[in-house]
Amino acid sequence: MHVYIYDEFLNKPKYNRAINRLEIRLTDLGLNGKIIRLGGIKNIKGTIQNEIKLGAKTIIAVGNNQTINKIIGAVIDTEIYSDFQKKTLLGLIPIGNDNSIATSFGINNIDEACNILLARRVEKIDLGLVGNYYFLNQASIQSLGTILHIDDYSLEVMEKGEIKIINLLSDQRETVKSNPHDGRLDILIRTKKRDESFISVKKIKVSNPLEKLVIDDVIEIETPVEIGIMRDKVNVIVGKGRLFD
Amino acid sequence: MFSKENKLEKFKDAETIIGASIKVKGNFQGHGNIIVEGALEGSLKTEANLFIGDKAKVVANIESKDAIINGEVKGNIKIHGYLALGGTAKIYGDIQYTELSVEKGALVNGQFLILTESDKRKDNKKIEDKIDEVEK
Repeated sequence: MHVYIYDEFLNKPKYNRAINRLEIRLTDLGLNGKIIRLGGIKNIKGTIQNEIKLGAKTIIAVGNNQTINKIIGAVIDTEIYSDFQKKTLLGLIPIGNDNSIATSFGINNIDEACNILLARRVEKIDLGLVGNYYFLNQASIQSLGTILHIDDYSLEVMEKGEIKIINLLSDQRETVKSNPHDGRLDILIRTKKRDESFISVKKIKVSNPLEKLVIDDVIEIETPVEIGIMRDKVNVIVGKGRLFD
Repeated sequence: MFSKENKLEKFKDAETIIGASIKVKGNFQGHGNIIVEGALEGSLKTEANLFIGDKAKVVANIESKDAIINGEVKGNIKIHGYLALGGTAKIYGDIQYTELSVEKGALVNGQFLILTESDKRKDNKKIEDKIDEVEK
């Protein structure tokens, strides 16, 4: 059974046409299922986990990066219904802006997303962990003044720029390679002097008293904070054009 | 031997790149090729190859398989394979190596020591002991 989780922002009239098109396409393909609208739901995790308990095999986030962040915890948390959740798949249908996660999985628009759901190509993906938050793509922070503690050493960036802690690439033009199956995070540091650094780690502590860490372009977190990775933690339905092997 | 193309060929699959704006403090250990263009204090060790750029400042004992050094190193250097010192290299410390080439202009304030077969066997023994310790 498919359960579609519609984000709250999709209640705006400007998304009516997109939603109508989506629902017609899903019906045509025989993929229709239960729809849950996040507007007004306070216990998102409880609601989704209840659906999984009732037999939902695929949870599909309809919206953007923020939607995925809202539901990912419920899909992968194994505290309550572990046997059910191990088999649960995560699907994505991108609508609106900020859809870098869907792009990573090779899902660029509604029609493509529906065809990908039908094809049901599944990949196990690592999941980044920052405190109580999960991330699929990356965490980022301004570089100047940021100190990274890794294993037995620390690393300080002396110039302005950006530090990206990548699990899964979201930009096709990116020159570095990042593998979401290797149980490692790839740290890419680019300064305004066009200086580039690259390190692969299992866990890292990030601290900067002036800047916040941003995960998947959605959630801002104060530092110091530890970032780790959980290997092959989430089963995602992906497209052929995904940005990883 | 010291051309940019040569460096890129050998280090195109570098596992770690420490850029010019980066300052590293502590014991840095890697398994793959490492490129250092910035500053590093502590120790630097890899099982693969090491490239130290001409602007790099390293205050550390260094150990690797092959290495190309063009920058400044204050500390002892142990290279199990081939070591190339570029014309801009400044070394303040002893150097142990198996094969060596030194370009005109390189400065070295320290002793050159050839790694003998028995040194290598000792190193291998240490590594095997460490593996045994971990396995226990």
